[in-house]
Amino acid sequence: MSALITLENISKSFLTEDIETRALQQVSLTISQGEYLSLTGQSGCGKSTLLSLLGLLDSPTKGQYWLAGQDVSTLSRNERAAIRCKKIGFVFQSFNLISDLTVSENVMLPLTYQSGVTSSYIKDKVAEVLAKVEMSHRANHYPSQLSGGQQQRVAVARALVNTPDIILADEPTGNLDSKNAEAVMSLFDQLHQDGATICMVTHDPKSAKRAQRSLEMFDGQLVGDVKNTESNFTPKAVGV
Amino acid sequence: MLMFLDIKYAIRQLFKSPRFTAMTLFVLIGGLSISLFTFSFLYSTVYKPLSLPNGDSIKAVTILKNGNFDMLTANDFTQMKDELNTLAEFGIYQESTTRVSIEDSGKSYSSARVREGFFKFAGVEPILGRTINAEDTVVGANPVALISEEIWQSDYRGNNEIIGSTIILDGVVTEIVGVMPAEYRFPNTARLWTTLSDDVLKPEGNNSAWHRSYARVKSGVTITQAEQEMTQVLRQIHQENVKLYQIEPSDLQVKLMTFQMAQTGGEGSIVFSFLNAVALMILLLACINVGNLLLARTLDKQKETAIRSALGANSVRLVSQLMWEGVLIALLGGFLSVLLVAAALDYTNMALQSWIPSGGSFWWRYGMDGATLGMAVVFTLVTILLSSFLPAWRSANQDINTTLRDGTRGAQSKKAGRLSRLLVTTQVFLVAILMLIGSISAYIAHSFINIELGDDYSHVMSARFQIPTDKYPSEKQQLNLTQELIQQVKQHPSVVDVVTNNWAGTRKLYLDNKEYLRDTEVPTADVIQTIGPLATVGVNLTIGRNFNVRDTQQTRKVALISESMAKRYWPNESAIDKSFTLELGEEKHKMSVVGVVSNRMNPSTMFGKIDAADEIYISGQQFIASYQVFFYRVLPGTENADEVFYRAMFNTDRSIELTYQVQPAEQNRNKMRESMALLSNITFITGFFALLLALVGIYGLTANAVAQRTHEVGIRRAIGATDLSITLMFLKQGGKQLVIGLGLALLCFALMAMGFHQFTEQLFPVMSYYVLAISVALGLSIIVMIAIFMPTKRAIQMEPSVALRYE
Repeated sequence: MSALITLENISKSFLTEDIETRALQQVSLTISQGEYLSLTGQSGCGKSTLLSLLGLLDSPTKGQYWLAGQDVSTLSRNERAAIRCKKIGFVFQSFNLISDLTVSENVMLPLTYQSGVTSSYIKDKVAEVLAKVEMSHRANHYPSQLSGGQQQRVAVARALVNTPDIILADEPTGNLDSKNAEAVMSLFDQLHQDGATICMVTHDPKSAKRAQRSLEMFDGQLVGDVKNTESNFTPKAVGV
Repeated sequence: MLMFLDIKYAIRQLFKSPRFTAMTLFVLIGGLSISLFTFSFLYSTVYKPLSLPNGDSIKAVTILKNGNFDMLTANDFTQMKDELNTLAEFGIYQESTTRVSIEDSGKSYSSARVREGFFKFAGVEPILGRTINAEDTVVGANPVALISEEIWQSDYRGNNEIIGSTIILDGVVTEIVGVMPAEYRFPNTARLWTTLSDDVLKPEGNNSAWHRSYARVKSGVTITQAEQEMTQVLRQIHQENVKLYQIEPSDLQVKLMTFQMAQTGGEGSIVFSFLNAVALMILLLACINVGNLLLARTLDKQKETAIRSALGANSVRLVSQLMWEGVLIALLGGFLSVLLVAAALDYTNMALQSWIPSGGSFWWRYGMDGATLGMAVVFTLVTILLSSFLPAWRSANQDINTTLRDGTRGAQSKKAGRLSRLLVTTQVFLVAILMLIGSISAYIAHSFINIELGDDYSHVMSARFQIPTDKYPSEKQQLNLTQELIQQVKQHPSVVDVVTNNWAGTRKLYLDNKEYLRDTEVPTADVIQTIGPLATVGVNLTIGRNFNVRDTQQTRKVALISESMAKRYWPNESAIDKSFTLELGEEKHKMSVVGVVSNRMNPSTMFGKIDAADEIYISGQQFIASYQVFFYRVLPGTENADEVFYRAMFNTDRSIELTYQVQPAEQNRNKMRESMALLSNITFITGFFALLLALVGIYGLTANAVAQRTHEVGIRRAIGATDLSITLMFLKQGGKQLVIGLGLALLCFALMAMGFHQFTEQLFPVMSYYVLAISVALGLSIIVMIAIFMPTKRAIQMEPSVALRYE
């Protein structure tokens, strides 16, 4: 499989009130297309920071980042935004749906930020991804009218709507009960089986083991990178 | 103890954010001060009980004749006084200006001619001597007068032996019988009180003189009951007069109102309500802004409040705790506003004293009083309710689970968003209205100040006098007296020329060879009786001749007409020797045009264009009037120019009654211009402050709304929104509020503009209102967009990863 993401000696520091906090130190990593990997580690070890950098939500202090062969480490804010809405899908722990928008409006958001997308395409695509996560019947509801599990499924649909190169999930089951957590994880398994590249931050060892590959972080550094033998899934095709 | 801790905590919070505290205080002090000052000024001017014993029961009697203000005649008073059962006191008086002769020179003072009972009505005793009694007003009684404490101190150095001594008032030797206390100037600006003789009460047919009157209703009788009875009696008298003297019937109504209200022509309440509404709009704006600033603070503490609530604090405790910050700011703002308003009122007093030589009406005494303090308390409490209690109540009643759970359901933010949008719309509406009113008032004031009047009053003195008709009953005698006075004034080496101008009203004129089917078709012009060259007051002859000594009552009636009239009726030919018929009273006179003079602003129009209406000057030798407005131009640098007239008057006849003191002709006009300029400045400052409030308020509201949506901004950016799309989103949402608020304001303005257009006699073209509306709308739109853009720009600087973690 070809490399979708390559990180070389990535560091990230935060400066707050003259105190420098090194969140990431010299992290190097390669993620192949169609790979399903989990990122684990203690709180404050830098998992979310790494995920933010992977998702171009932030830029590294040092190092280089290639996404699908393009150096994205020094892009401007708007250039990063353009890549995010085309190539990256996010799923957050706290769902991060916009409360004033309906389910379908939330899902279509990434497409509305792309140019040249027709409204009929948006309509069809939204219907397709909502069907995929089994939320079509709630398309006109507001997030506050949904359960946590349903909200997370909508968030997954939003992450899929732009047919991203990679889905980044930050503790996707952290706010869910075990039944809903299992449903979401099954959805991820299914997406991976359909060829999606997924990178998931998790505290849950059981969830971590469902990925093909597990990365472990400690104090801003990658300290473990293992293939999971328990993972039974192999991608059918490249891309979602 | 708990309250003390809460206060201590609130004070610590205020000191911790000095910029927030200063901005909140600034907004609050501005809003409170403008509202409080407006209230106090208008209350003292229109409603406040007079500063006399039982001042609240002192009423001025005013007559509404066909809806217009009028006065009682002495005859009306005589016939009414014995018929009324609802009044405890009822009397008449006349206001005047009295000349006090001191050797060769003298001073003029405001005075009142009064009768027995006047001082008892006012409830004030003299500090020396006695008041006017019934014997003093008997025909032929020795003239007596009371002087004010100021005259006593300044002209007589507080001499205790003054009672019984004499003073020359308008040339008449008069005995001083009393000295009234300092500050006593009832009924208005009087410094001297002389007698109103029983003579005025004698029946004189329908020509009885008008008098001002006062009344106090009996205990247990309402003002309405008294008004009804007086109206009924006056109508009966009027009906008898209609039959007796063949006069046109009128609709009469008696109104008992405060002296202040009577002075404003009864329109005081409209002005009071309008200006107070404007001031309250400012206070409302200030409350919205302060409330919003405090709401932002309480929202910042939402998590803290939720923790306190989770630990067992009840709503009352939470509200009181959250309120203290706002309460302290409101109390401090209220206190500082009271100090500021007290200083502003003192300054207003000083300004009035310097502008108006007589110091103005005695109730024009502005300062901090009980009513203003009471209103300050009310305003402060309203501010506390609107800007402290409501935000605190809202915050204290939040869903603690949602807040503590790092809520994402967003039900609360939806409500907050709606409230924020409503507040922005309200702000835009209020500010737009204030700016539109301010602009139009400033425009009118500016136009009024710079209006072309068509005359030249530089170095011109004016005097108004009434010839005593009992002494000079025939027109010939009256004309001789006027001419004698003109000659006396002309003899002075400093006098360049003299003219008399007496406005005889707007009169109908009938052009030769033209038929008028309806009365409304008959044209009108302002008619002015004049003796002497009009060039004295800057009205220049352009064709023909001036009046001369050969224009007498026995010769053909001649007229000078304005250029506008010549152009209107004889556009392509000379108007000289043209004739028309002029209706003066019940008589019609054939007039011949002998000259054309430059246009002049008509006295009957306040805002009209100089050539909008016409003037006809008729010779004062052919149409003789006992009332004269006398103008004389003096050489530049002439000192004591007023003395010229007084000396001439004393040499001619000392009994000539001056109805207005001799003064530079420009003085009244300048006073009016100064007051218009002041009004314009106040309006501009108010509008500017409103705009500043709007800028601060809308910035605060948007900053608050954006801050509340920082997380949403993070989400949108995480999924690919660019800076531009986020900025446009906020601008678009703000734009909606702008369009709604501005649209409503423009609708209201359209209605107001129609009123203004009528009021200003269509002086400004309709297009100017459009220009004004568009300018204000554009200016406000730019300000609002800047106020929205600034916090948005700040919010989008944040990296999405930070924004997503933002609480």
